[in-house]
Amino acid sequence: MKLKALLAGTTLALGGSMAMAEELVIWHDLGDNGINWFAEAGEAFKKMHPDVTVKSVSFPTDQWYGKSIAALNTNTAPDLLYNNYERVIRVVDQTGKVMDLSDVFAGMADTGFLSEADLNVARYDGNMIILPVQRVQMGFGARKSWLEAVGEDFPETWEDVQRVSAKFIAEDPDGNGKDDTYGLALEAANPRDLIHMLDLYTFGAGLRHTLIDGAGEIVIDEPKHKQVLVEFLKTFTDYGYVSPDTVTHSFPEMYQVIEGGRAGMFRVGDWNVKKWDGADVLNGDFLVGEWPQHFDDVDNAVVIGGMRGVAVPDNAPNKDMAIEFAKFLLSVEAQQASLNNVGAAVRGDFALDGLSERRLVFAQPAHNLNAYDFPESVHAFYPELEADFHRELLEVLVDPQDDWGAYVDALAERMRAKRDSLK
Amino acid sequence: MTTRANAPSVSVLARRWLGENATFYLFAAPFAALTIVMGLWPIALSIQTSFTESYTALSPQPTYVGFANYIEVFGDPVFTKSAWLTLRYTVLAVVLNLVIALFYAMFLSSVLLSRGAWIFKLCCFLPVVTPDVAGYIVWKWMYSGDFGAVNAALTALGLPEFGGVSQVSTVTLAILIAEMWYHVGFYVVIFLANFAMLDRTLDEAAHLDKAGFWRKFTRVTLPQLRPAITINSIYALIQFLKTFTVVVVITKGGPGTATNFVSYYAYRQFDQAQYGTATAMATILFSVIMVLAFALYWYNQRRDWR
Repeated sequence: MKLKALLAGTTLALGGSMAMAEELVIWHDLGDNGINWFAEAGEAFKKMHPDVTVKSVSFPTDQWYGKSIAALNTNTAPDLLYNNYERVIRVVDQTGKVMDLSDVFAGMADTGFLSEADLNVARYDGNMIILPVQRVQMGFGARKSWLEAVGEDFPETWEDVQRVSAKFIAEDPDGNGKDDTYGLALEAANPRDLIHMLDLYTFGAGLRHTLIDGAGEIVIDEPKHKQVLVEFLKTFTDYGYVSPDTVTHSFPEMYQVIEGGRAGMFRVGDWNVKKWDGADVLNGDFLVGEWPQHFDDVDNAVVIGGMRGVAVPDNAPNKDMAIEFAKFLLSVEAQQASLNNVGAAVRGDFALDGLSERRLVFAQPAHNLNAYDFPESVHAFYPELEADFHRELLEVLVDPQDDWGAYVDALAERMRAKRDSLK
Repeated sequence: MTTRANAPSVSVLARRWLGENATFYLFAAPFAALTIVMGLWPIALSIQTSFTESYTALSPQPTYVGFANYIEVFGDPVFTKSAWLTLRYTVLAVVLNLVIALFYAMFLSSVLLSRGAWIFKLCCFLPVVTPDVAGYIVWKWMYSGDFGAVNAALTALGLPEFGGVSQVSTVTLAILIAEMWYHVGFYVVIFLANFAMLDRTLDEAAHLDKAGFWRKFTRVTLPQLRPAITINSIYALIQFLKTFTVVVVITKGGPGTATNFVSYYAYRQFDQAQYGTATAMATILFSVIMVLAFALYWYNQRRDWR
């Protein structure tokens, strides 16, 4: 009898503790930095919820889409999704199973650090699809030692970039005696890679739209847009500032070019800086600033590529606790961990001691900021229009034009026709 | 009790149903089941998905849209271009691989190469057992315009640089070479097996009749290689119509859309959660492969090779 009672008691105790224990699973694409951040945030969350464990899984971005969409549609969703706003929009579009967090946000007391602009890139179709957790900032970077080697300062204007590029290519800035350096590192293999780079050129130059404005007008043949687009295309072709292999480069190859010391100017995301400050990578040998200025009357800027945030699937297995953790990611503790591990946050009311000058560029922005316009949140047909635009640009990169201006004019007309057919 | 005693045993029933090969069928059954579950079921599911609305494809109750995805795919100029690129590449790759494999096998089976043949056999077969992704990464480095071995060698020899995978005009040749490196060893092995079975007396008879090399090759050797040619051509056709890994690793469909073959294009669509159109493309490719493979088999079987 005693043995039976002991077994029954043990079973009850185990069952009870198992019923209490919860594991929150969060899917993201932030790699090791993200895993470390969620681990740190999870430990902090555990102080308030001792029976809750947070497990994060990082996927390559492309896989994150497919897995998230499939999981939500087959009721095998994780508890939380973490990614950029526009990526969550696509999950919403293709599943309709992402929770509206408007009421959750309205019930939170400590949110004054979020501006209306921040909140705009959290809403889609009248719903708050993410709690905004990290601003995505992308600046323009240049290798410090290379600039010194060719006697140049950090390039401020597009003319500076052109001059410095020519020197980086011709003057062996790394001093290895080989003709193996390029001005810029870009990527163009996949449509999204290419358009991402064009977005940086465009918004970095202070313009407000890449292809289409809020009213549905195609903008690429407007004088300023046209100038930026033509210079962007010439970077790959006429000017030859990038490696010829760039047309087959995606993110990993672009990073190899940057980290392998073959290009002197490049995109710097807030999430890149911690790694590139490391001794085994760039060892902090780079400066970060605004994207080059193209126009005297338009301010250039660091680009806000949107907002990363946390979303809760409608069919999350532990939905209530998932909401609690989502709210916790906006706490000072979780935000400090975010800045430390990923290099980005939305709060600024914590210690910034010990951050490198490059990380402070993003943590304490003192420069112009210009945010993406997210046309997909305004025009339902935009993804298809953009896909056509991408294909056109990919094709022309390997078929350089004699008259780029005329090409852009004709492209604009084709985009208008496509827009009309999609409306 | 009487009924039980008169009831035929399981083995008797099985023999009655399956005939004298009952034991064989029983042993084969698990593998047949595995083939159906692991091989045919995913194909059936893929075909089913091609008739659904992409957004609902993975939901418990998908919305069926008939042939809408197929209509969309056939109306997509990128797919049309992709299909032509794939066919052109397949024709080139099949012909080039089989011709080179055939002559390489002839060389290896020559009596003049009695010593050292194993080195050549090893060299040509090693790539077949090398992980393809690793091999293609090395090819990608070799083609690099910045530090690639190919251009370094050409420059050292005073020859013009090769555009490699960065230029539309050279990318097809570049991936043809990389794929040939990987696949040709397999075709050589099949040809070698067939060469070992050739009737040497026919060769001697042709020699006595004073037939020249070309006449002996086309009238005596080639007809006897029909089994190897059939197997290799069908395998190569299937292989190259599905060309994928080399594109993912080396070109990503570029430059521009120069290597945006159907498999890769379908993969990109799938990646963008366009499950309906992606599986429609895959089904079209599957159908084309089946039709062409059967046509090739039928042609090779019927053709008078003498």
